[in-house]
Amino acid sequence: MKKKSYLDNPATLKIDLMLRGLRIADPLVKAWACGATGIDIMLPGRTIANIPCSEGFTAASPYAIRKRGERYAITDGTGEVEVSLVPRPKFYDGKTSTGVSFSKIAQVHGSLLVITPSPACEFFNAKVECRYCAGNFDRTGKEDAVYTVEDVVETVGAAIAELGSPVVYLSIGFSRDPSGGMEFLRPYLQAIKRHYNCLTAVEALPPKDNHWIDETYAMGADSALYNVEIYDEELFKIICPGRATLIGRKRYLDALEYAAKIFPSGTVSSHLIVGLEPPGSTCQGIDFLTGIGVVPVLPIYRPTTNKALRIDPLTTEIIIPVYKHLYKAVKTKGINLNWVRDLSMVTTPVELKGLVEGAGKNVSLVDTFYGTRLGKKAAWGMSTLRRKLRVKGTHGQSGH
Amino acid sequence: MTVEIDTRPLWLIIALRALRPIFFAALLVLFIALLYMPAPAGLSPEGQKAIAIFAVCFILWISNALPLAITSLFAIVLVPLFGVLSKRETYALFGNEAVFFILGAFILAGAVMHSGLSTRVALTIMDRFGASPKRLILSIFLLAAALSFLMSEHAVAAMLFPIVFEISKGLNLKPGASNYGKLLFFSLAWGCVIGGVATFLGGARVPLAIGILKETTGKTIEFSDYIIAVFPIVIALLFAGYFIMTYFFPIDVTDIDKAHNVLGKRIKTLGKITYMEYAVGVVMLVTILAWVFLGKRFGLAGIALSSVVALFVLRLVRWKDIEEYVNWGIILMYGGAIILGAALDKSGAASWLVNSIMGGWSDSPVVVFALLSLLTIALTEAMSNAAVIVILLPVSIGLADKLSIDPAAMTYAIAVPAGLAFMFPMSTPANAIAVSSNYISVRDMAKGGFIMCVLSWLVFNLAAAFYWPLIGMGYLK
Repeated sequence: MKKKSYLDNPATLKIDLMLRGLRIADPLVKAWACGATGIDIMLPGRTIANIPCSEGFTAASPYAIRKRGERYAITDGTGEVEVSLVPRPKFYDGKTSTGVSFSKIAQVHGSLLVITPSPACEFFNAKVECRYCAGNFDRTGKEDAVYTVEDVVETVGAAIAELGSPVVYLSIGFSRDPSGGMEFLRPYLQAIKRHYNCLTAVEALPPKDNHWIDETYAMGADSALYNVEIYDEELFKIICPGRATLIGRKRYLDALEYAAKIFPSGTVSSHLIVGLEPPGSTCQGIDFLTGIGVVPVLPIYRPTTNKALRIDPLTTEIIIPVYKHLYKAVKTKGINLNWVRDLSMVTTPVELKGLVEGAGKNVSLVDTFYGTRLGKKAAWGMSTLRRKLRVKGTHGQSGH
Repeated sequence: MTVEIDTRPLWLIIALRALRPIFFAALLVLFIALLYMPAPAGLSPEGQKAIAIFAVCFILWISNALPLAITSLFAIVLVPLFGVLSKRETYALFGNEAVFFILGAFILAGAVMHSGLSTRVALTIMDRFGASPKRLILSIFLLAAALSFLMSEHAVAAMLFPIVFEISKGLNLKPGASNYGKLLFFSLAWGCVIGGVATFLGGARVPLAIGILKETTGKTIEFSDYIIAVFPIVIALLFAGYFIMTYFFPIDVTDIDKAHNVLGKRIKTLGKITYMEYAVGVVMLVTILAWVFLGKRFGLAGIALSSVVALFVLRLVRWKDIEEYVNWGIILMYGGAIILGAALDKSGAASWLVNSIMGGWSDSPVVVFALLSLLTIALTEAMSNAAVIVILLPVSIGLADKLSIDPAAMTYAIAVPAGLAFMFPMSTPANAIAVSSNYISVRDMAKGGFIMCVLSWLVFNLAAAFYWPLIGMGYLK
């Protein structure tokens, strides 16, 4: 049987590459990857992908990157496609005035500047961490590991000076704070908004009360993520015991539903990890989330050696229908696709256009516009105007 | 400040936001049109300008597009700017005795509240006289009224609210469902409203009305004359109020021991009566006696301000303590309102308005008096009672002159009904405070309030027709 090739479609190629990884022989590219777990590569059609290159499973990948003169190409043995390496941001080499390396504070993933001001996640302390979690979070949550607001603001400034207008993505691990971490993130978010005209996204935990979702929007978040990760109720309890016992699946879904009413269309998202539950269950999750106005974001489960979770990853052939389902569901529900875009770690609905028949293969003018600097400024302006119109404070009644 | 997100469609929000600039632009167009339209016969150029300013302020007052005080300040700017009155005359009017009386009354009430005397009196009366469910309601009702004789009804409502709220919680009354809960807060609100019209001290509107009367006619109403004229009306309304409240919401509890536990605990925390409470009480008593017996000789504002000085000489209060009780917004509003009233009068605009708008109503003083008091009661349900006075009184005094009605009587016809706001939370802060308890709904308030409004109007007009002549007052000059 002829071996199936995904080289001719950037969306499927991205999925397959993220699933199987990339072999790197070229010493220059190895140096480029700098020992990171993934390397950012620009595939055809300006599709950016963070491709695993150092995990054990990548050794068996059919994909390899080759130098072709001044350019690079990815080959699967049957053909090849021209790609480019995404340059390592120069600001990574800089430091804050207190001596903290910018690259420690922030990482660029496509259009996102990802910052996790505190590495603490109390799921670890309670021994109820998510079973797939590679342990990015510190178990102790020592205070000296928390970056100061000033350091974070300085880092964002350096990134904006180099990259234009990335979306600043603030994330936080679990804490028992009823705000879902927003009380902690508030000074960071407000300081960033005060200093820079940039869009911000917040990955937090569902707060106890919905008024915190109002607060999150009011304090300047342009997008919110409450990652349910697993839609299947039983698997959710098994794989995410902390989320299940300390927050609850219902609260995740309720908070997402409420947030979708507060934030603009397409700016509320939730991760559903593909490969940790049956594809049918993920599709059910997609239907539910799009039904309440939430954009499902589908990262692909990649087994890591340091965790005990032993689940064989799905194959690309099985995964592609799930992504097609995602595109159709988002389009059917009329959710704006322009927010969740240009992400290197996941395949976004915009990139899936080329996968679905009749969806139009070409990137539309609007898609292109929002990818430009001007488009990002316009998006920031619209988002800020919307917030000014929507947010109101309640004052005491005036006298008579 | 709590954040609230407006989830209405964005187009609607934008349209509503756009209304404000459109509103102000339309107001500007109206102002210019009124200023430059050909002057009607009999109206002087100054009168035309005064009417244009009055129209703009009238719209701003009823729409609440700007705070009331800011609209008044705007009037103070416009009157000399368009030459209706000179700058000197305009700003001098702000020094009206009524403004300083209001300032003194605020400070005196602040001292009484700050000393804790008012709270002690309230708790003691409720505990001592509220032995049964019916008597507790009566004591709250009469206490709210009696305290509003002496201090602003708004302040009384705010002071008694936490106590009444604790009682309702202590009795486990269900908000919205318990009749007794409704009665507790109705007695608080209506007690304040009815008591608030009994003297000059229940609100700043009567001094304001007298200020306008004095500026336009040179006449005044004495503290004691006012009480003699209005007190029987207040007594009748207290009876009517109690009857209507308990008719609409029959008492549905039998045991109020828990309420006494609440009151007992509160009284214990107060400890024994302090020197400051005694001293402030004495100063207040002396002040009231002076207003009654020496008001004509020394002026009400002079007495009020002398008492304020006495409070500071005796170190009974510090400025920091009473600063929060002084509502500077009201003071600014009243100053501006008096200036506008004087501008309408002195420019001849008031008499022109009377002739052209109200002139055809009726030649009967009784009918005009009744219609104006009805109009006042209707307007005060929807807008600030002070604004009602500012809008109606200067014109009504002009009408009084035309019909040979005593302008002082006409002042009563506006000043007293302007305080009788029973129907809606926005009518007066006492109502708003009661509704904020959640025991009373707006519908409850409107239902009982409407009957009270009709009754008040009847009682007021009956008193004017049959009681006032007995004490030497009358409609006619």
